[in-house]
Formats: sequence, structure tokens, C-alpha cells
Amino acid sequence: MKLVRATRTRLLFHLGRQETRLLPQILKLYPRVPPAHHVLSQSGRIPDREANQRLLDEALAEQRAENRQLVQALLADPRRFARTETGSRLSLPPVEVEWLLQVLNDIRVGSWIALGSPEVKLSALNEHTAPDFYAMEMAGYFQAQLLEAVQGEK
Amino acid sequence: MTPEIQPGIVQVTEDKPKSGLEPGYRVICWNDPVNYMDYVTHVFQVVFGWARQKAEFHMLQVHEQGKSVLARESMEKAEHYVHQLQRYTLHATMERDE
Repeated sequence: MKLVRATRTRLLFHLGRQETRLLPQILKLYPRVPPAHHVLSQSGRIPDREANQRLLDEALAEQRAENRQLVQALLADPRRFARTETGSRLSLPPVEVEWLLQVLNDIRVGSWIALGSPEVKLSALNEHTAPDFYAMEMAGYFQAQLLEAVQGEK
Repeated sequence: MTPEIQPGIVQVTEDKPKSGLEPGYRVICWNDPVNYMDYVTHVFQVVFGWARQKAEFHMLQVHEQGKSVLARESMEKAEHYVHQLQRYTLHATMERDE
């Protein structure tokens, strides 16, 4: 995944054949982070803790629903995900780069949680852990490419 | 005889609870082994509008010290920032300043 061209309104990426196949597969996993993962306060010493936690849960649930719709729309739009001889071209306005980063990180963190939130990298994989590990690494790969493009633009 | 009233400094020592409007809440980002350092820096820049250098300073504080206090704000603002940071799946919470 490489940034081909950047204007004020659009970033155009080239994806190789494998990336073209993998990105939709990874994006379809969204959302992966369990809602209970998000905690407003660790100490819990804030006024109306339960009501405020509920507000956070509702805001994030709304965002998840919105992001899921955006992912579906992105994958279904041939103008945005245009096939080429060597893979595809993905065109994103800067605001969509931000939500794509959020989506990819949700998949990455959610896959890590599914692996048991390991402190260090897993040394051995098995049939149960391999899919989550693979999703975590692939989401991280695309995330890193997007970040590189965004930072280059700054 | 009426006691003479003189202007002076009045010290209020009452320990009243912090209202939602006064700064008194810390926005904290906690370390985790999954988020990329570049990603955390980027999120701090977007959410707080910081320059890269300041965002990197706080990212390194999170990484090396386990947490960083990103802001001291009123309850509403602290809550807003935590919502924003959690949208990006960072481990962020708000804690009462004590």
C-alpha cells in the first residue's frame, strides 16, 4: 500500500494484488473491541460515574455503527476501490483516513484482546490463536501505511 | 458599639466537592503493549491539536513511565477528551485531581 498522490481533498493509494485481497477481509472484521473494554475512569471517583459511563458506552456504540456503515460503503463503491492491472487504487479524503485508522486500530486491539492481551509477542501460534494474530498483524500493517502517508503530508 | 468592618482577605477552607465546571480532572493515557508509538503520537496531535514534538513527549512518557497526564480540565472537557481518545482505542481515563 503506497501513497501515489496527495491533494488537499484526496489521498490516492496503490494497493498490490495481495493487499487488494487482504484489506477488505480485514475491514470486514470490524468491530472487534468488546464494548466492556472502554472504561471512563479507573478509580471510579467521578460524579455520576454510572451515568457518565453509560454516555461513553452510547457514544462509542453510535460510532461503531457509523463506522461499520462507512466500511460497508467503502467496500461496495467501485469508484473508491478501483481495480487496476497490478491491484487497485483506493481514494480517500483526509477525514476518511482518520476513521480508517480508528477502524484498523479497533481490529488490531480487539484481536489482541481475543489473544488474551499478551504483554509480549506470542512465541508460538496454534490453530486457535493464528487467526487473531494474523488479523492483528495485518490491521497493524495497513495502519502503519496510512500513518506514514498522513505524517508525510504533515 | 458596632464592630468595625475592614476590608481583608477571606480564606475559604471549606472542602466542597468540585463542580463540573472547574478544572479538577486529569485526562490520563495509560501504557499498553499493543498501540503503535507512531499511532499514539498521531492521535495526540489530532485530539489536542499539539505539535508533533509535544505529542511525542507525552507518547514517550506513556511508554516509559506507564502513563501521562495529558490535560487538566473541567469534568465536561475531560470527558470530551476521553471520549475522543477512546474512539481511537487508546487506553485513556479521567481521574479526579487530588
